[in-house]
Amino acid sequence: MSGQGPAGPLPTIAECGRRIAAGEVSPVELTEAALARAAALNDKLCAFIEITADRARAAARRAEREIAGGRRRGPLHGVPYGLKDIYDAMGLRTTAHSRLLLDNVAAEDACTTARLEAAGMVLIGKLATHEFATGGPAWDLPFPPARNPWNTDHFTGGSSSGSGAAVAAGILPLAMGSDTGGSIRLPAAYCGTVGLKPTYGRVSRRGVVPLAYSLDTCGPLTWTVEDAALALQVLAGHDPRDPGSADVPVPDYAAALRQDSKGLRIGYARAFNQDGGVGAEQAAALDAAAQVLARLGAEIVEVKLPPNDRFQAVCRAISHSESFAIHQRDLQTRPELYARVTRERLTLGAGVTAGQYVRAQRLRRVLTAKVDALFEHCDVLIAAVIPGPAPVLEETDQRPWREPQPLSSVFNVTGQPCIAQPCGFAANGLPLSVQFVGRAFDEASVLRVGHAYEQAAAWTARRPPLATLPQ
Amino acid sequence: MPTDSDSDFAAAVRRAGVAIPPERRAEMQHAYERMQALLKVLDEPLAYEDEPAQLPRYDRGRR
Repeated sequence: MSGQGPAGPLPTIAECGRRIAAGEVSPVELTEAALARAAALNDKLCAFIEITADRARAAARRAEREIAGGRRRGPLHGVPYGLKDIYDAMGLRTTAHSRLLLDNVAAEDACTTARLEAAGMVLIGKLATHEFATGGPAWDLPFPPARNPWNTDHFTGGSSSGSGAAVAAGILPLAMGSDTGGSIRLPAAYCGTVGLKPTYGRVSRRGVVPLAYSLDTCGPLTWTVEDAALALQVLAGHDPRDPGSADVPVPDYAAALRQDSKGLRIGYARAFNQDGGVGAEQAAALDAAAQVLARLGAEIVEVKLPPNDRFQAVCRAISHSESFAIHQRDLQTRPELYARVTRERLTLGAGVTAGQYVRAQRLRRVLTAKVDALFEHCDVLIAAVIPGPAPVLEETDQRPWREPQPLSSVFNVTGQPCIAQPCGFAANGLPLSVQFVGRAFDEASVLRVGHAYEQAAAWTARRPPLATLPQ
Repeated sequence: MPTDSDSDFAAAVRRAGVAIPPERRAEMQHAYERMQALLKVLDEPLAYEDEPAQLPRYDRGRR
């Protein structure tokens, strides 16, 4: 690590930690490298809304002093990270990528931010999102939409769009995202990174701008599964100030990575994927991923999920109702400040009746019980998270009714943890992705399988061709 | 001729106090109809004991 420029992607969290511990690189060098790479690439990727260089340098110097003084806090100490701009960081704006919050300066850290700061991480900046983590890529907002590092003509996925772009581009080894219907896993899938949606309640949402209270989940985007485990170790835990936070013990996630996949029973939801419109390239990549796990000693069995239209109806009734309730006053009094697509999608929530909302929550319990029952016979499920590679950015759906995300929102409805990670590449060079799903609060098994697959398949060796980005 | 669906959505938006510009009403009405078509499965009967998933949990936060 020269620390002198954007010569290459930043190392993973684990590698940064090892090299810091060995004295081979310093937090200041890592921070300068991240800042230089962000400065060099952000015009093309639009991943950052704000780069907090002065704050980052001060934090890096502090980390360097502490580590030199023998007070290393752990593997994340001195490692750069970024926050989707719906997370509060004290003294910085939280805009949610919206004109409505351009002057919204956070009075305190989000719980998650505080945990990462306490671990000694160095905040590099605030990252692009879809407005209020909904809407879609829009051009009538104060900041441009992020672009996919694999091909800047293509969509990053959303809504944690800047997080996916920054991690894929090797600017950051960790970026926080949020997932209400797939918003961690979709950008992870389209950008070829790892995206972990923990169990609902596992990670605090306090200090994060809400979209839909009963679906919102916070989690990390990283380059490797090992890094997701390192991040979750710090992020997970009960927060009495988050009403949705669960008081459940947090295991040693690194220990889970040391276990192999031999003897695990893995349920493959092949028919469900077909129901969700998965294309031929993505389907073949999923089959290949299942075969890799079988070669590693896992038993693959086909499983049947409930019909997709039930999950979609439940997710949309709940998310539209709850987000409308949050935004109704602003939609009444200053609608012109929203992007057109955000305003219209939020307004649709006015058309969901109270009866539909309650019936959706009732059906949600039924669906959750059915998915939970699959885990009586399986340790982990394999499912698709995207139907195929990232679409062209300019061709993304801008209509008020967005077609449902048929694959990712299933596990927001049912709450179980899942991880999206690369499982190959389409013929056009864009990433494909597989999703592993576990029992509620059993992130350890998801990480265990994800890590074993990642080590065997070795997709992480391939990085976006940023050297060929247009100047 | 206005349909029931037209007046349902118009009433819901009016009751919510939100305005839709005239040039966007047709598109929004279409979106509303797509949404209602998806939500139709919520009309299927459930058992009395199928209570909502999001009931309050007063034991949360207690160690």
